[in-house]
Formats: sequence, C-alpha cells, structure tokens
Amino acid sequence: MAHPREGWQGHGLPRRTFLKAATALGGLAAGGAGALTGCASDLAGAGTIPLPRPEHPVTWPVVAGNGPIKAGLTAERDATLQIYTWEAYINQACVNAFAKKYKCKAEITTFNTMDEAMSKLRSGLSFDLLIGATVDVLGQLIEGQLVQPLNHSYLANIDQAWPDFTNPFYDQHWQYTVPYTIYTTGISWRKDLVHENPYTMKNPWAMPWQAKYKGRVAILDDYREGISLGLMKNGIYNLNTTDYRQIGLARESLQELSGLVNVRIDNTDYTEVPTGDTWIHTAWSGDMAAAASYMPKGVPVDVVGYWFPTDGKGPVANDTNVILKSASNPVLAHMFLNYVLDLPNVLENISFNGYMQPANGVTPQVLVKEQILPPSLLSTIVLPSYFRRGVSELQLPVGADALWQQAWLVVSNGI
Amino acid sequence: MTATNATASSSPAVAAAAAPARTRRLLRGNPWRHPWFLEGFTWLYLIWSLVPIAIAVLFSFNNGKSQAAWQGFSWRWYVGDPVNSVLHNPQLHAAVIQTVRLSVLTTVIAVPLGVAFALGINRWRGPVPATFNFVMILSYVVPELIFGVSMFFVFTTLFSTVHLGTTAEVLGLITWNVSWPAIVVQARLVTLGRQYEEAAADLGANQFQVIRRVMLPLLAPAIFASAVLVFSGVIDDFVIVDLLSSSAGNTPMSVIIYSTQHGGNGGPALNALGSIMLAMSLIIVIIGYVGYRLLTRGERGSGLAALTTIAGEGSPAAPVPLPLSRTKPSDS
Amino acid sequence: MRNRSGNKGKNAFWVALAAPGIIWLAILFIVPFYAVLSIAMGKLNQLFEAPVAVWNPASWSSSNVINVWRDLFGSASFAGPILLRTIVYVAVASLLCLLIGYPAAYFVARFAGRRKGLFLVLLIAPFWISYMMRMLAWIDLLSTGGYVNKALGWLGISPVNWLGGSSTTVILGLVYGYIPYLIMVLYAGLDRIEPALIEAGRDLGLGRTRTFVHVTLPLSRQAILTGLLITVLPMLGDYYTNQMLSGAASTSMIGNLIQGQLGTPGLEGQGAVLSLMLLLVLLIPMAYYVIATNREAAR
Repeated sequence: MAHPREGWQGHGLPRRTFLKAATALGGLAAGGAGALTGCASDLAGAGTIPLPRPEHPVTWPVVAGNGPIKAGLTAERDATLQIYTWEAYINQACVNAFAKKYKCKAEITTFNTMDEAMSKLRSGLSFDLLIGATVDVLGQLIEGQLVQPLNHSYLANIDQAWPDFTNPFYDQHWQYTVPYTIYTTGISWRKDLVHENPYTMKNPWAMPWQAKYKGRVAILDDYREGISLGLMKNGIYNLNTTDYRQIGLARESLQELSGLVNVRIDNTDYTEVPTGDTWIHTAWSGDMAAAASYMPKGVPVDVVGYWFPTDGKGPVANDTNVILKSASNPVLAHMFLNYVLDLPNVLENISFNGYMQPANGVTPQVLVKEQILPPSLLSTIVLPSYFRRGVSELQLPVGADALWQQAWLVVSNGI
Repeated sequence: MTATNATASSSPAVAAAAAPARTRRLLRGNPWRHPWFLEGFTWLYLIWSLVPIAIAVLFSFNNGKSQAAWQGFSWRWYVGDPVNSVLHNPQLHAAVIQTVRLSVLTTVIAVPLGVAFALGINRWRGPVPATFNFVMILSYVVPELIFGVSMFFVFTTLFSTVHLGTTAEVLGLITWNVSWPAIVVQARLVTLGRQYEEAAADLGANQFQVIRRVMLPLLAPAIFASAVLVFSGVIDDFVIVDLLSSSAGNTPMSVIIYSTQHGGNGGPALNALGSIMLAMSLIIVIIGYVGYRLLTRGERGSGLAALTTIAGEGSPAAPVPLPLSRTKPSDS
Repeated sequence: MRNRSGNKGKNAFWVALAAPGIIWLAILFIVPFYAVLSIAMGKLNQLFEAPVAVWNPASWSSSNVINVWRDLFGSASFAGPILLRTIVYVAVASLLCLLIGYPAAYFVARFAGRRKGLFLVLLIAPFWISYMMRMLAWIDLLSTGGYVNKALGWLGISPVNWLGGSSTTVILGLVYGYIPYLIMVLYAGLDRIEPALIEAGRDLGLGRTRTFVHVTLPLSRQAILTGLLITVLPMLGDYYTNQMLSGAASTSMIGNLIQGQLGTPGLEGQGAVLSLMLLLVLLIPMAYYVIATNREAAR
C-alpha cells in the first residue's frame, strides 16, 4: 500500500528497549555528587525517589535553583536546537519545517537505549530537548536535576492532547513533561500461517506456547515486557510485582517457552511478521501499525494481525518530552514542544514512526482516512479507556528491579 | 588442497620422485603446474565473501524503499531524495565526514605507533618490554564492549578534560587498534629473523639506515596488512565510537548504520552509506599503493631481495646482486 | 643471538622506538583496565542503580564476584551451558576458518603472480563495507523467501529455517565475520616463505603433499598461530553474530551474557567481573602465543 507521505523512511530501532544491544553504559558516569570515589554511602534506597503509580500519583518538587523560564520571551537567534531522541523517532521533515519557521537550525542526536541516554546525560552532555523520555526514568531525571520545569504559557497546544495529560499520575500538574507517543503491547501474528485466533482463545497470552510453531515464535527483547508476558500468561496482572515467587513463576514459564519453541528474542517484529519469518511475535502497537510498509510484494497487509485484550487489561505506556536543564535554547525548546503537539505535526510523526499519540484529533477514522493505518490494524490504536484502565510497567524499587533483571538474564541466555 | 596433492603423489609422481628429480615432469604429476584446484577454491571463497557486498551495493541504487525487492535503478539515495539522501540528510553526510576524519587520524597515528612498538619490543630484552608486549596482546583480546565501557568511564570521570567527542573517539580507537600493527609486524619480524639486519650492519649501515632501508621494506606487506586492518577496524567500529560520541556531529557512518539497521530496516540510504564507505576505502587503498610505489621507486631499483611489493611484481625469488643472499635456511 | 655492536647506546635506540607505545598503553589501556577492576570490585549506587568504582584495593567488595560465581557454579547456576556452547561454536568456527582461509591465503601469497594485486583487493573488500551491512545482506539472503532457500529449491531441497535460532547459522556467521582477518594475517606470514626452500624440498624428492607437510606447514606455524590468536580470542567475546543471526536463548554465547549484564542498570559490576574472568581464561592461550613467539624469535 503506497504511503502518501513520501518522506517516510521507515523505522529504526524500536524504542521500548531497556535491555538492549551493544551500547552498554549502564549508568557508569558519575552523576550527582560523589558517586565516584566510594561514596557508597549514598546507598539510599529508591525510597527517596517516589515511585509514581496510577493509584499513587506524584507531584515532583520544583527546586529553587531550577525554575522554569519566564513567560513572554522571544526565541533565541541564530540558534541550533539540539534534540536528543531515539533513532528514527521524530520526523526529520517535521524538524526541518520547524527550523525554517522559527529561523533556526536543528540538530538531532540519537541514542539506542534509555540507559545510554541517561549515562550520557549524567556525564554532562548537554542538549535542549529529550524527546521520548520513558516514564520510569522521570524520577532519575528530575531528582538528578537533569530537566527543567516547563512554562505552560508557551505550550498552548496541550489542549489538543487528552485531558489526562495535564495531570498525569507520573507528573501531576504536568510540571516537567508533555506527552509524545502512546502504545500498547500485544501479540502480532500471521493470520494465514497460524490457525489460532487470539480473540477467541481462552488464554490469548499463552498463544506463543505452542510446540507446533517451533522456530517461528519470538518475543520482545525487553526485560519488563518479557517477564510481564510470563506473568500475564499465568493470570497475574500486577506488572510491577515485587513478589519473588511470581517473578520466578514467570521466569519458569518463559524457560518452558524457550524449550518448547526455541523462542527468539528480538525487537524486529515489524519486519519479521510481515515477511513471514516469524509467525507469532509479542509486539508493540506502533511497530505493527507500520506493517504495511514492510510487506513483501504481492502479500496484502490484511494477513498481519495485532491483538490487544478487548477489556484493555494489557500493558499500556506512553513516552514524554522534556526540556533538559542544560538547554541553551529553552525558549525555542518550548516552542518546539508546542509545535509537535499541533495536530498536523502529530499526524506527520505518527506516519513516520507508526506510534500513536494521545491527541484528541487522532481517531481511528482520521488515521484510516489519512491512510496512516490500514483498517485491518485498527487494533493498534490506543483508546483513552485503555490508558485509564490498562496496566502499566512502571518504575520498580531497586530490589525488585534486580529480581526482574536477573530473571530476564536467565531467560535470555538460558538453556 | 590435499586432493590435488594426492593425485600428484599418485602413480606417475611417485615414480618421478623416486628417481633423481632434476627433470621437470609435464605429466599430471608435475609439481610445478598451476594449482587449478587452489585457484578455484579461492574464487569460490571470494564469491561467498563478496556476494552479500554486491547485493548491498546493488540495493543502494534501488528506486524504492526496499532493501530486498528490486524496484528499479535510481540515484535517489545518494543525491536525489531531498530529505533522506546522503547528500541532503545532514545526519548522513556529517557521518561520512566523521568516518573519514576518524579513520585517517587513527590510521596515521596507530600504524607508526604500533610498528615502532613492534620493532622496539622485538630487540629490547627484559621484563619491561615483555610485560608490555603482553599488555599489547591483552589489549587485543579484551572484548570490545568492556573496553569501550572502560573508556567511557575514564573519559567522563578520570580524564574528564577530554570529554566525549571526536578527541575521545580518536584516542579510544587508536588504543583499540594499535595492537594490529604491533602483533602483525612482530609476527613477521619473528619469521624474518636477524639475518638482514646483521648483514646490513656488516656493510656499515647504522641503525637508522637499517630500519629505513632494510627492515621497513621487508616489513612492507605486514605494515600494509596492518594498515588495512586498522583502517577497516575504524570504519566498521560502532561499539567504542557509539559510547564516546557526544552529538550528531561526531557520529560516524558505522554508528548510524548500526542504530538504524539494528532494528532491521533503515532503507537503501544506509546501503548508500555503506557503498560510499567501500568506495572511499578502495580509493584510499589505491592512493596509498600508488604513493608507496612512487616513494619506493628508488629503492626498488637497488634490488633488495625480499622487497615483496603487493602487486607481486617483485617476486620473492628475484635474484639479488648484494650479499643479502636469500637462502640461509639454517640461519633463521 | 647477540647484537653485534652490543653497547648501551644501541639498546637505547630500541627503547626509544618502543617507548611511545608503552606510554600510550600505560595511560590509555592500563588505567581503564584498572577502572574495570574497580567497578568489578566496587559497590552499587542504589539511587541511580549505577556502579560505583572503588579505587582503593583495601575497600574492594566481593559481592559482584560472589553473584557471578553463583550464576556460574551455584545451585541455581545457568551459565554453564553457555560456556560450553561458546567453546564449541568457537572451536568449530575457527577450524572452518583455517580450513577455508589457509588455502586461499596460500594461493594468493604464492601463486597469484601478476594478479596478486587483484586478489588482494578482493580479499580486502569485506573489510571496507560495514560488517553490519554484510550481515544484513546475509539475513536477507537467508530469510524464508530469500535467495539461499530459492537456490535450494532449484536443487529440490525444501526451504530451511536458517534464522530460526540455528547454531549452524551462528557458526557460519562467525566464520564469515572473522575469516577475512585470518586470511590477511596468514597472507602476511605466508608471503615470506622462501620459494627456494620449497624448491629444495622438491629437489630432495618430496612430492607436493610432503613438501607441504614438511616444509611449508612448519614455516607457516607462526602465521597460523598469529592468525588463530587474532580470530579465536575475539570470537569468544562475540555477541553480535548470535544477536543478528539467531536471537534465540538456546544459541546465546558468553558475549551475550556479558553484554546483557553491562546493559542492565545494577548489573554492570557483574558484567565487569565476567569479562575479567573471560580474560583470565584467555590468558592461557595468550601466554602460549607469547612463549611460542619468543621461542621462534630465539631460533
């Protein structure tokens, strides 16, 4: 299916990767005071960073030395807006258009994993904007004074986003963040190669556990998504569990999966399922939304399906955009955030990276009409009800996080 | 190889070998005939090695966005496409420039450093050189990831005046690649033995002359091979450079290809990048080779025996007027 | 072998040659290496889940080592099969590299004649197009509808699922990735073998095979040794091949485990420990190489 938006280049590395390839920094930079020479006395537990939950929303403090910029300032002149974001996450054409309109230059620097970004930011690299900050690192960003609070007077277009985001649980009164993408995690499958239909299965999350599809099953390479799959297969929907027994159960199920189907672990769902190399793949909604561009010649996009529980009880998440404290062009940065919240730019970015955004103007009808989404993949759309009801994978206390990490390490390097 | 040799050693050749073997046989048993089997084998290997490259280059000229389905010929990914071609996408062409910068700087520093190290270590006996020889090999053996991580750590905490960026990248790349010339040249030195130096010293050459007129030409293939290895090591490196980069301006092609392709599909623009890399490297090799031939034109005339040039013109068996006789097997 | 003019002045010359390299290594390799050690023996900053380097050996903490040891040898250990698998893959891949690479290098070094330049360029070409692009081209070729399966189809063989987590694919991928290095090193070494020596062998009545076995092979020993050093040791730390060509947990190598740990907040210390353990193991072949090289040099 031809894409009307010609500048569309195709995805790069999918974004939801906490545990990822080569660039392995793991926060080695000594961020904050005295993390270098044996100040191991700052073994403060994550109890000092509040853990946002839908039922325990968090209002971040605004510290004296780190206040928002004043209102009514003019944009910086002869500036180069420095954007730090995931690979292929924001449309270059959109950025170029902004640069032209506001008479500045714009430079995009990319990172491969959130971990890498955090390490580099803590080591002192400075940019204006961080596009695509995941919710679970907001605590580190804010408490580590790496981001600055927003001045809402520049961000009128927030009205175009869902009202939830003027007071999200992870950042009450949207002091530091505006929303960017929103997505779900479900199961994508080839309808022509797989007989089962997850919509009619009793336990759809158990769909990958079928020996007859040996060699054709894959799961996402992400420790939260992986262990969560194991949890949900066993009927556990607390995706932030700290119970070692539940985590152990999930791990065992995943090891069983590995033995059953020789499961592959990667993030290339959006090419593998369209080409038929993999028949069942746990997937992110944004990846599958773009399936049409990856279908081989002659194969219609309808053969690709994406399932998400109809009652909304599955992983939902959203990314945010923040302005870094070290920004040399904070006014332009605010204007850029405002610019990408505007509907035409929202649609342009959606068509570029495939990921939906929580804007009021983004409805299934609009997406189909603009040919951004084929009708067969409407299930990749995230409804406000999903967001409100959905279970989310959020920041864990350090001890529990270690359990999850360790379990995933065993699974991904297993038998 | 053994198959051919086996046939060579079968009936006629066995008889031939038994007899006084000054006469050449032109039968199947001729041990001097051209080794067709070996050549065929080599060509098979080359095809296996190069077909994916040919495909990658081919698809850089693809008219569509696919990297697998041919959709017609076009220059769009190089110059045509106004947003995403290498020419127009600032990220991509900054990457090309950075790759050139990094590879030239690193090769120019690492190769002399490594060659000097190999020469010095080879002659200087003692615990210090032995230890550092070991350290040099260790630097080769260390997994690149942990090396890169340690570099990142060091440049952001200990040596933080050298913050992340091109300088850090170059320093890291040199350290990572200096083991190529050190190991390869040293291996060749070992095989060479001391006969040439000693012969030259007998003729009155001082140490500088020995190095310049005798050792370096003898080591030319090893130096060349290690320069190739360093150059390509830098062009292809994405682990160290990714860790040490600080902005789009110092991100080379390898990291861009890695970042976008790792997920599976960055489009033919990346094939275009890869092809540019290939073309650049070929050009640099050709320039280097031509330069080398021009520079050593004088010496070649003097007929140093084992001056094996890479074009194979001076064959190792060329006779030599000097006392640097080529056959002293008992001395090596 | 004594230096003919053995006075201190001459020795200083060689010291001066080696000095820049030594100083460079000291600052930019030994220091970072010590940093790795400090991280491996260090503590954890719980706030950022980041490792904290402990520079003073007196305050080193062994918690990371204990954790890794437990992963390897404890009751809930899981890393044993990975080690075994890695060793098997690398052994098979190295053998294949040698079996394929030696003939090719030998041919080009000795028989290419006037076409040597052409062959060299062709041998070198893989180095200069990104390793990733080559791997991606292979993934394309090996995919279910790719040309390899199509070619098999012409021969009447049913398509193979090359990329579904197969150890064969990973091994072949390792061979493909590392063989150019082996060939270059072998070429540099084989190029030097005096044809006169081979002639001498023939003159003495040895047939082709026996000339090869008794003359060429021993002379190429150093080259093979260096070539194996250059290939085997990095192969043991490789993670990328498995990640690209398989991705299955059942084919993961020790490099994947290390990379996983280094990329996980909180586990970097353990990743550092595992890397150091890998290095300790690699010390043995390294030591052998150095000893063999010194022995060769002393001959």
